[in-house]
Amino acid sequence: MYLTSETVETLVEQFSKLPTVGRKTAQRLAAYVLKMPREDVVQLAEALVAVKDRVMACTICFNVTDNDPCPICASAKRDRAVICVVEEPNDVLALERTGEYRGLYHVLGGVISPLDGIGPDDLKIRELVARVAGSAGGDGLSEDADEPVTEVILAMNPNVEGDTTAYYIGQLLGALGAQVTRIARGLPIGGDLEYADEATLSRALEGRAGM
Amino acid sequence: MRLLSLRLKSFRAHAETSVDFATKINLLHGPNGAGKTNVLEAIYYLCLTKSFLTRNDAHALQRGAQFFEVDGTFQGEQRASTTVRLAYVPSEGKRLFRNGAPLVRLAEIVGELPLVILSPTDHVLTDGGPEHRRRFLNTTLSQARPVYLDDLLKYRRALKQRNALLHQIRRGGRLAPGTLNAWDEELVQLGGRIIFRRRQFMEHFAGFLAEAYRLLDAVGEEPTMEYVTVASTHDASDAESIAVRFRDKLDSLRRRESEQGRTLAGPHRDEVIFRLGDFEVRPYASQGQHRTVGLAIRLATFLYLRNRLEETPLLLLDDVFGALDARRAEVVLDLLNSDAVGQSVITAARPEMLARHVQFGTGDHNAIALADGSVINSSVTTGIDRSESLEKDEVNTVDATG
Ligand SMILES: [Zn+2]
Repeated sequence: MYLTSETVETLVEQFSKLPTVGRKTAQRLAAYVLKMPREDVVQLAEALVAVKDRVMACTICFNVTDNDPCPICASAKRDRAVICVVEEPNDVLALERTGEYRGLYHVLGGVISPLDGIGPDDLKIRELVARVAGSAGGDGLSEDADEPVTEVILAMNPNVEGDTTAYYIGQLLGALGAQVTRIARGLPIGGDLEYADEATLSRALEGRAGM
Repeated sequence: MRLLSLRLKSFRAHAETSVDFATKINLLHGPNGAGKTNVLEAIYYLCLTKSFLTRNDAHALQRGAQFFEVDGTFQGEQRASTTVRLAYVPSEGKRLFRNGAPLVRLAEIVGELPLVILSPTDHVLTDGGPEHRRRFLNTTLSQARPVYLDDLLKYRRALKQRNALLHQIRRGGRLAPGTLNAWDEELVQLGGRIIFRRRQFMEHFAGFLAEAYRLLDAVGEEPTMEYVTVASTHDASDAESIAVRFRDKLDSLRRRESEQGRTLAGPHRDEVIFRLGDFEVRPYASQGQHRTVGLAIRLATFLYLRNRLEETPLLLLDDVFGALDARRAEVVLDLLNSDAVGQSVITAARPEMLARHVQFGTGDHNAIALADGSVINSSVTTGIDRSESLEKDEVNTVDATG
């Protein structure tokens, strides 16, 4: 139906690059955009560009944020002695929804996976070690030295890659004297953290086990 | 457990076939190429989510078809009836539905609908390569204990990852220190649990194997099994200490593994040695002995799973009677008729001998004639000529099995 418009065809192509969007869905979305009021389309386009222009990674926890440090890292109400390590920004959202966790986060940006060519150096592991080490030892010079981190919760997904990454980090942090725990296996087998419901996640947080 | 009915759509030779099953013995007969074995294959798909004939699901797709579908209704002894449907589309893979609800993981169904299959190639269990014996351990244990299958799938994934890492090392790639160590840890933890459960299983299984073998060969020496793995029984008695031994083994192989770029020890390399009395079956047994031991292992698997699980496994026999001598054929048929076995489904090109021993069409037993991928008739004995000479058949098979 869009043989007459190369412009529409271009939009369909762009939509079909998105995850879970097939060609049919892309055509439906394009047809919808055609009917939208101009100002709504402008808002959508601006929102898309703004994500790229304004959103950055928090330099402390590497979560996505508009302001650096992110609101969680900047909050005075969070427990700065606890860091929960997760794979992706979406995992932070899942844990925040439980309302149970009051500590800080650290977003790795993935897991160790040789099959995908991802090693520890491709993740924010060195930064995590520096965070924990910096808080524990401190240089004794800076006035606003962070409160020491007493517990690190490893909340990678309960699969082979998540377990291996947790073990790897556990080995590094164990040497620093921080208490390292792994989130308990209350999660459904093969289930991703992102899809776990709040109750399951709350139970998992309560039942975390020492490494 | 009992299979009530089965439907195949675009599956091998079957464009659309429906079969109803009787409570005890079900005989599928008809000429070669009629699609008898593929009915067993479809049942196998529902219970174990794969084929026993091929590793490539596309092979089970009828020529020119876009997808295949198999569904079956099972009646449990302990559970209400369950309908299982498996659909395969080449671009999307397999999907499994239990009572209409999709399963997140195919593996979820394994063990719920227990099944054992006897086939004329079972001699590979002792005269084939070690992979056949590992597959026997894995298939049996996966049905007996869901946690075993979970660990096994994870182990395979960890193995793939570790091999990818060793491959990088072989090509001179630079690794962050401790990376291989972390994969070793994951592999040995999973491997330790797998080896421990295999060892436990074999201790338990030995009695069932001896029992099954006695049925088939009353005067022969008793069969025994030995599990060859990274740790011996006396220096590692639990999963944790097996993992420690496994890690030692990997440490000692590190240089060779880096050179070859793959993992050289673990459950994926283990071996099972079968013996009759003092002599090892694999190198020394006759063809006939390999057949008998193979059959005994399968029957023992049935007895073991029946003992271990709430549900009596379904027993499939794919063209087994053609290769058995008269006495053993009778032993197996008596077993199928007895209370020890629940429901069985048999394929045979020539059903005459079976028809002489089993009253088909009586309600408990059903004979189903197939031709060109469809059911010709069911529940009746028509088409089976009971008068044909049994003796000739028997003499031939006795010669063949030695
Ligand atoms: Zn932050």
